Amino acid sequence: MTEEKAKSIDQASIELIEKAAKDGVNTVFDRAEAMKPCPIGAVGSCCKNCSMGPCRVPLPKGREETPEDKQKRRGVCGATAETIAARNFIRMVAGGAAAHSDHGRGVAELFLAVAKGEAPGYEIKDEQKLMQVALDWGIEIGDRSNNEIAVDIGEKALAEFGRQEGELITLRKAPLKRQELWRQQGVSPRGIDREIVEIMHRTHIGVDQDYKNLLKQGVRAAIGDGWGGSMIATELQDILFGTPAPVLGKANLGVLEEEEVNIIIHGHEPLLSEMIVAVAQEPEMIELAKSKGAKGINLAGMCCTANEILMRHGVAIAGNFLQQELAIVTGAVDAMVVDVQCIMQSIQTVAECYHTKIITTSPKAKIPGAVHIEFDEHDALKSAREIVKTAIENFPNRKGNVYIPGGVTNQIAGFSHETINYLLGGLFRASYRPLNDNIINGRIRGVAGVVGCNNARVNHNEGHVVMVKELIKNDVLVLTTGCNAIACAEAGLLVPEAAREFAGKGLAEVCETVGIPPVLHMGSCVDNSRILIAATAVVKDGGLGDDISELPVAGAAPEWMSEKAISIGQYFVASGVYTVFGVTWPTTGSKEVTDFLFKEMEEMYGGMWDFEPDPIQAAHLMIAHIDKKRKALGIDKARERVLYDMEMRREMDAV
Amino acid sequence: MEYKVEKTKAPGRDEVEVLGATFEEGVPEGEELGKWRQKLDSREDKLKYLQSGERYWFSEEWFGSEKRKNPA
Repeated sequence: MTEEKAKSIDQASIELIEKAAKDGVNTVFDRAEAMKPCPIGAVGSCCKNCSMGPCRVPLPKGREETPEDKQKRRGVCGATAETIAARNFIRMVAGGAAAHSDHGRGVAELFLAVAKGEAPGYEIKDEQKLMQVALDWGIEIGDRSNNEIAVDIGEKALAEFGRQEGELITLRKAPLKRQELWRQQGVSPRGIDREIVEIMHRTHIGVDQDYKNLLKQGVRAAIGDGWGGSMIATELQDILFGTPAPVLGKANLGVLEEEEVNIIIHGHEPLLSEMIVAVAQEPEMIELAKSKGAKGINLAGMCCTANEILMRHGVAIAGNFLQQELAIVTGAVDAMVVDVQCIMQSIQTVAECYHTKIITTSPKAKIPGAVHIEFDEHDALKSAREIVKTAIENFPNRKGNVYIPGGVTNQIAGFSHETINYLLGGLFRASYRPLNDNIINGRIRGVAGVVGCNNARVNHNEGHVVMVKELIKNDVLVLTTGCNAIACAEAGLLVPEAAREFAGKGLAEVCETVGIPPVLHMGSCVDNSRILIAATAVVKDGGLGDDISELPVAGAAPEWMSEKAISIGQYFVASGVYTVFGVTWPTTGSKEVTDFLFKEMEEMYGGMWDFEPDPIQAAHLMIAHIDKKRKALGIDKARERVLYDMEMRREMDAV
Repeated sequence: MEYKVEKTKAPGRDEVEVLGATFEEGVPEGEELGKWRQKLDSREDKLKYLQSGERYWFSEEWFGSEKRKNPA
């Protein structure tokens, strides 16, 4: 008898995978078992960029490649395996950067409409962040009203997407040395859209056929994502909806309520979900729910929309990417409202086995069979009310086959850069100094950004949780976003008590003193820009070098699957961060391309990629890199700060 | 934020004004629990905070290791 491959480390998910099997429902876990990944495409050795192909250029099986083999490894057009692997890789960057940046554009459009008074229901909630962005972008404040300032900010933000020359204004937030390095390397993005379009041009048949030059353009577009489109999304969302501060929330599928109308908000953008949160609390809606036999309305989030509404409202998280179908399998979800990104088409098929209504809301993302209620930003409350009513009216249609697993965990989220700065120093001297001091004295060995998706090719949440536990055990403070944050929440790592249970002695001391968890939830995947800003603040506070590449930090995406993860990884690397990915690596079909990404990029950008599917080994690679940086900074031996009294000073003066 | 000023005697001087306690009494409750940005009321307060709290980017007086080498 063969041992069945584990599908999840999460008990609630395991129970619902079993329920799905009993109910005869096909899920992502079944499909991953039934269909293996294409071995040629998986390593980047398949080109389908023209109709002379698709051309497959795999490495020879079971032996080293000979020079003759290499000569033969070309597409019909003559493109080498290196060109093909690099093309495929940067097209992934383009896809990811486009997704994040189009999210940013949508926020900027709404922001401008709010500033002009054309989007009722929304308002500027965080004047301080408005001032901050105005100062950053050189916009006059004076005695002007918030809306006047916001109009200028909105117009400037939108112009960044279509900018044709110069540099993005948001690059000014980066360490000065990093900005200069980008200029020297010729990778400062001219405009967010331009760099993505240029990737599509260069990777068209017969254009750029130098893998190094292709990868350089990938770096440029990725910087335009992390330091551009994603950063604009984060900054403007903070102004509109509030900069996150610590908030208590709950996590996992058990947050669904059997006797209430359950609405899951799934996807990535908070524009509509903010309105749904408001509408679900309206007395008329609660009355309507009661009239249908429910005790109330229960909102829960899924994926990065979940992170957005958790960070700002404490709305519970039902799960991450691989739990979206399982939520429906409970039989208790009356509506799943989706916008964009990471939404499986199969949720509609699963929903048809129960009573759940899938409601698409974006003109960019429709699913056949789903109800489409388009989100109109100029009348957002109307859209939100129609959605919530649809869910309520569906409550009596439940089929009786309801099972909601237990195992709900608590979590503290909301660690924006601004809040970390405040928590460490207080209102009068907000500061990263305590963090830097504790890195220098060795209590905190380093900082890791662990982010990214779920991937059905590996055991759900195992890579995330095992890696993060190994890092904090070794006194590495973890900053998390996206599906990693949700995995950590479900494993109970996002509460201060986790420091005592899981963290090393030094990190636990710091966490207990400040009152923070050892793993800080910083938001959704566009909020990886918050990690960049936090790293920059550490640099600017001083004592740990002049650039992000000198810091004892590392990045990882142990269960990555999306193109967005590749774009994120690439801008981490381009910002000077050593970044390890798990599961699989999409360029191993070309040794030259892989070596360039894993080795030569370190010489160019101070950061480089790496690949290690074992999460413990990957954590050790990150710790080894952190130790390398500590040694270079001369802080590899633990030292306490000595406070000199007057007698000791006199002794020094006497010498 | 309104500052409380207390008068107290100082050695060699009669009476001096010192800044009083700045903590808020009681325990925060409800949705505002843990939020801190509302402590800054006026635009002037907010801009002052940016200059001190976010001095890494906005202060002309603060010198981190980076700014020593690259005067703004």
